[in-house]
Amino acid sequence: MIKLENVTKSYSTEVTALQDASFDVAKAEFVFLVGPSGSGKSTLLRLMNRQEKPEKGEVWVAGRNINDMPDAKVPHLRRNIGNIFQDYKLLANKTVFENVAFALEVIGRPKHVIRQQVPAVLDLVGLSGKQERFPHQLSGGEQQRVSIARAFVNRPLILLADEPTGNLDPTTGEGIMRLLDRINKTGTTVVMATHDQRIVNMMRKRVIQLDRGIIVRDQARGVYE
Amino acid sequence: MFSRLSYTFREMWASLRRNFTLTAAAIITAAVSLFILGLTLLVLRGFDNQLSQWSGGVELIVYVENDATPEQLQVVRDALESNPAVIDVDKLEYLDVDASLAEAQRLFAGDPETLQLLTAENIPTQFKVVPQPDASAELLTEIASSYKERLPKVISVAFPSKQIDVLSTLRGVVQFVLYLITLILLFSAVLLIWNTIRTAMFARRREIEVMKLVGATNWFIRVPFMLEGLIQGLVGAVFASGGVLTANWYWTSTVQSFPPDSGFGAFVVTGNYPQWVVFWLIVLGMLVGAIGSGTAASKFLDV
Ligand SMILES: Nc1ncnc2c1ncn2[C@@H]1O[C@H](COP(=O)(O)OP(=O)(O)OP(=O)(O)O)[C@@H](O)[C@H]1O
Ligand SMILES: [Mg+2]
Repeated sequence: MIKLENVTKSYSTEVTALQDASFDVAKAEFVFLVGPSGSGKSTLLRLMNRQEKPEKGEVWVAGRNINDMPDAKVPHLRRNIGNIFQDYKLLANKTVFENVAFALEVIGRPKHVIRQQVPAVLDLVGLSGKQERFPHQLSGGEQQRVSIARAFVNRPLILLADEPTGNLDPTTGEGIMRLLDRINKTGTTVVMATHDQRIVNMMRKRVIQLDRGIIVRDQARGVYE
Repeated sequence: MFSRLSYTFREMWASLRRNFTLTAAAIITAAVSLFILGLTLLVLRGFDNQLSQWSGGVELIVYVENDATPEQLQVVRDALESNPAVIDVDKLEYLDVDASLAEAQRLFAGDPETLQLLTAENIPTQFKVVPQPDASAELLTEIASSYKERLPKVISVAFPSKQIDVLSTLRGVVQFVLYLITLILLFSAVLLIWNTIRTAMFARRREIEVMKLVGATNWFIRVPFMLEGLIQGLVGAVFASGGVLTANWYWTSTVQSFPPDSGFGAFVVTGNYPQWVVFWLIVLGMLVGAIGSGTAASKFLDV
């Protein structure tokens, strides 16, 4: 589903965010990206949806080399990839329903599809009673569920999560983790960058560890360290 | 398709309202610049009407009675052509009844009473004479002054008055100054619209970020902003057009109330020229809006 071949990315001459990284992620796999701050986890995720382009190496997503992809095709690539962030990136002036519907609306999905899919996905993340609330009327965990609903509403092949539990207390974070696990079980490939030692150790999924831009460990059913 | 359209218009409208002060400034600037342009075009047209009799280097007009026979006309023509050293024979032009009536329409547009008196039965026809570039004015006057006695059916010979010379100089100055002002104002309108769109995009940068992440195309993101700029230009042009038509109507009715010998009789614009001006103001307004917003939307999409 995702394949990196000898990928090197630097932001300037001094900073090499990623060096010669290669790995494969199979369909429906779940991968943790771990490593200290600044080790290149977010960079790696941004390379996978063409928010960044590498200097060297190739990135393949769903069978296509996305570095050669013309800019005009990038939106269509991104429709197959859901994104989740530590700070949720919800729109404050829209309700829960509207935030999720927005993702479908702006890719031209018809109204009747939106009316059907948004409640279904909100139900899946456990927010069906809170559709009309605004983000500031929700807890952090609930806000993250909205952002997951938005990322998943178009049934993407891949979900990229950048420290989704970073702002949450352990119990709430665990709930979010279980939700991502459930989504993964539906066949969606999930790549999650995290600092959350407890969660990584609890889940026993594949772990890719980075240190200063270099992959130092790639372990099936791994632990945090 | 419908959800796309409703999205586009909803976003555009919300943004117009949110940015009210900047939007108003952009619209006013567009309106003022287009209004001045419209007035410029009308004023120049007025000059041209006033000068039309003398356009193309004509410096002598020989008026001939309406009922002159072809033979008599030929005598006049022969006399004019017998002086090729002074008169540019190739540019000699005869305006028959129809052509003279058409010219009168422009010349007396501000003086309907005089215009009414002129008919196909009584309007003089005219020879328009362009002198050779190096011919002396005195020589031309000398030759011409003998025509009235010597030639059949000649009513009078006319030279351009000093007023005409002044007017044509004035026309040049007015054209230069007003076009320059228009150009500067149009440019500021583009800049203001550009800035409005930039502000609108900055205000919505989080939405734009999310849109890009979920796979909205650049065109989808851009179009509401471009439409917003287009509408600012269009609204400005509509105000300008209203102003231009009102000003023209007011001026025309003022001129028509002047005494017939005011000398301003031709200084009005009639027919469908004002509509033509309005059409171009609207086209230009939309163009200004599209340029301002289009460049902003492309430049600031990478927020
Ligand atoms: N846009 C950028 N411009 C310049 N340098 C950047 C940029 N983004 C990241 N970097 C640098 O690249 C390196 C890797 O950053 P990255 O954000 O990928 O790390 P990370 O593993 O996600 O860290 P954290 O755990 O703190 O989120 C860091 O040295 C960072 O300073
Ligand atoms: Mg990071």
